[in-house]
Amino acid sequence: MPCSEAMRAQAYFDGELDAAAALAVEQHVETCAKCAALLADLESTRKLLRERAPYHRADEGLRGRIAASLARAGGAAPSPRRAWAGRGRFGAGAASGAAAMALAASLAFLMVLPPPSNALEGDVMNAHLRALMSDHLIDVVSSDRHTVKPWFAGHTDVSPPAGDFAKAGYTLVGGRADYVQGHRAAVVVYRHGAHVIDVFAWKAGDEKLPSIATRNGDHMVFWKNGDLVLCAVSDTGLDELRGLVRLIKQTSAPAA
Amino acid sequence: MPHLDAAYNLARWLARPPVDADDIVQEAMLRAYSSFETFRGSDGKPWLLAIVRNCFLTAVGRSRRPLAATVPLDDDVALGDPALFADEPDAESVVIQFEQGRRLGGIIEGLPEDFREVLVLREMEDLSYRQIAQITGAPIGTVMSRLARARTMLKTRWRSDEPGAPHAMQ
Repeated sequence: MPCSEAMRAQAYFDGELDAAAALAVEQHVETCAKCAALLADLESTRKLLRERAPYHRADEGLRGRIAASLARAGGAAPSPRRAWAGRGRFGAGAASGAAAMALAASLAFLMVLPPPSNALEGDVMNAHLRALMSDHLIDVVSSDRHTVKPWFAGHTDVSPPAGDFAKAGYTLVGGRADYVQGHRAAVVVYRHGAHVIDVFAWKAGDEKLPSIATRNGDHMVFWKNGDLVLCAVSDTGLDELRGLVRLIKQTSAPAA
Repeated sequence: MPHLDAAYNLARWLARPPVDADDIVQEAMLRAYSSFETFRGSDGKPWLLAIVRNCFLTAVGRSRRPLAATVPLDDDVALGDPALFADEPDAESVVIQFEQGRRLGGIIEGLPEDFREVLVLREMEDLSYRQIAQITGAPIGTVMSRLARARTMLKTRWRSDEPGAPHAMQ
């Protein structure tokens, strides 16, 4: 028989729970082997689907046919530039001009970014990827938290928990200053095997936090510590990421 | 055209011959274009995918499915099964990956439509329960139970289909 908490564990896995409910699930999972196994299953199923399942993309031929049919329907070529040109001729060709405007507006609608609940995740993930792709991963190189913490004091307005967990496989390599949603954030950088783990910390506002999130195979784990929001991001496995989060939580009592 | 890939991916996973995914997507883009005035919201992706889904249902002769209130419980619903497959080895040949993708695709195609669509929307399009409920017209609780079933079925079939020793990992 599945555990009666299985649905909630799944919702937790899907990042659908608020912080309090997520905490309850985390506590439950520590003592429920069935739900712990369920989470592992969900993770491997997701990995399988996201890494192996065919994703069907529209080819150029189809794009062309759709563009052509939209053009016929709108009486204007479906490119925003032509559509805006149509607006200029509004008086002369009201029908086609209006249709062209409609088309431009509809495309603008579809271009709206992911919903607000995901904006924070996207922002953190972008900051993480930006740092990975540029040479700007680390501002201060150190395996010593006594060097990293004072550096943050001079460069950001947050003092993030930092520790060296090399014995557990998470090596502190340094820190950098970054931005998340316009706020200054401190990032503590760890290395775990071949993976880089960024731990973002910023002053908590009224943002609604997911507990975990996954984007293109990269995982994020969010939590709060005192007045700080923390987010660990990496392409390492979710379990490995959670392992580091556990260590950080253990060594950082909420700021008094 | 934003979200066109998402639209096409969903259409491909829903449609089967003789219904053509290209036709569905083309029709959906036209409908989206002509009805965007009625769109009230901030996120175009679920809106467009709902249109794709409706176009598919129209194409197969169902206007809108009645809400499937009952999710039959059968053999493979054990939600708490132990992990049944391990991560793939790193040094894996392209051929094996391709073969796995093909086999996985076949398994997804073999899932009942209700389950297949929630799985595609959640795992491939990364949509929330609420967005999936919006697209499929099913209550969130139903979305959750279908998703659980779909994941369990996929996992079970992936394992039992495995060439070689299917129980080696247990």
